[in-house]
Amino acid sequence: MHEMSLAVSLIDQIEKLAKENNLVRVDTVELESGELKLIIPEVMQEAFGVASDGTCAQGATLKINEIKVEVQCRQCQISFKPSLNDFQCPQCQKADVDVLCGNDIILKSITGQTQQDLKGDNHEDKCC
Amino acid sequence: MKINVVKKVFKANDLVAQENRKIFKETGILAVNVISSPGSGKTTLLEKTIPSLMPDQKSLVIVGDLQTTRDAERLSPFAQQVTQINTGLSCHLYANQIAQSLGDLNLKEADFFFIENVGNIVCPGEFDLGENVKVVLLSVPEGDDKVAKYPTIFRVADVVLLTKVDLLGHLQFDLNRVQEDLSKLNATVPIIQISSHNNQGMDIWLDWLTKRRKEAVGRQAKFVKEE
Repeated sequence: MHEMSLAVSLIDQIEKLAKENNLVRVDTVELESGELKLIIPEVMQEAFGVASDGTCAQGATLKINEIKVEVQCRQCQISFKPSLNDFQCPQCQKADVDVLCGNDIILKSITGQTQQDLKGDNHEDKCC
Repeated sequence: MKINVVKKVFKANDLVAQENRKIFKETGILAVNVISSPGSGKTTLLEKTIPSLMPDQKSLVIVGDLQTTRDAERLSPFAQQVTQINTGLSCHLYANQIAQSLGDLNLKEADFFFIENVGNIVCPGEFDLGENVKVVLLSVPEGDDKVAKYPTIFRVADVVLLTKVDLLGHLQFDLNRVQEDLSKLNATVPIIQISSHNNQGMDIWLDWLTKRRKEAVGRQAKFVKEE
């Protein structure tokens, strides 16, 4: 349900990055989605489509890589990959852990075109 | 052109939440994020809690709902100040909604700042508001299977309040199942059985709250009597 909030925040960041790097069109967005954030990829794709409408990322491809959650037991210090409803340490059986990864949503990269790139594309088109 | 970023998407929210947390610390107030499904008894709990803390400990409230000011109207007679946020279609509160409301609240004249989040046990867990503690309610009528079904919010809870326990004898509800499921997620979280109807467990809850406030704000406590 929070995919729309995520998509809006994501588009904000993409627009800033595009401006900083003189991109006029964004083609691809790479996102890492931590398992604990409960993002449903299909819903996220829909939300991204809606949030990007009318922006430089309209029509961009959103690639979502899910990052599995990994934790470390505070007692035994061993690391393990729990299921989402069982964080018990395989050694001491206690669910008292620090999350090592899988708890963030990270924008990894964007790929796009500058005005100059687009002119180049048009030039090639003309050549063809 | 490819631009590598590696940036947290919710960084903007997290930064505002950090600022909120700083303000709570400076003003010596305990911010309590109250989270549950709709109808678990968040507002009723606050209707009972806030007057019980008075007159020594005063409270401010922010209430989040999609629509209406009904909860704010219910809590107005008890709290020093109540702010209702209507979120429209959003199923949770954001840190900046809290930040924007802080300017209108007299934080220095209160001890507790209750944030009654939008009724939902999925999304509010993903948005840091800058609170000191997350209080998660599970009511008996919701069923004993909810901890395992919605584990993420229970994993990060600082306390779980099992509400409407006066109904335990009337509904099928396995308390052991809740305790067992919770122990798989969060070994240290206390469960307080509570009823706003007959006041069962209210003293334990109030004691827990007051202790958390002393821990969080220490010497800055304003109205808490020293033991």
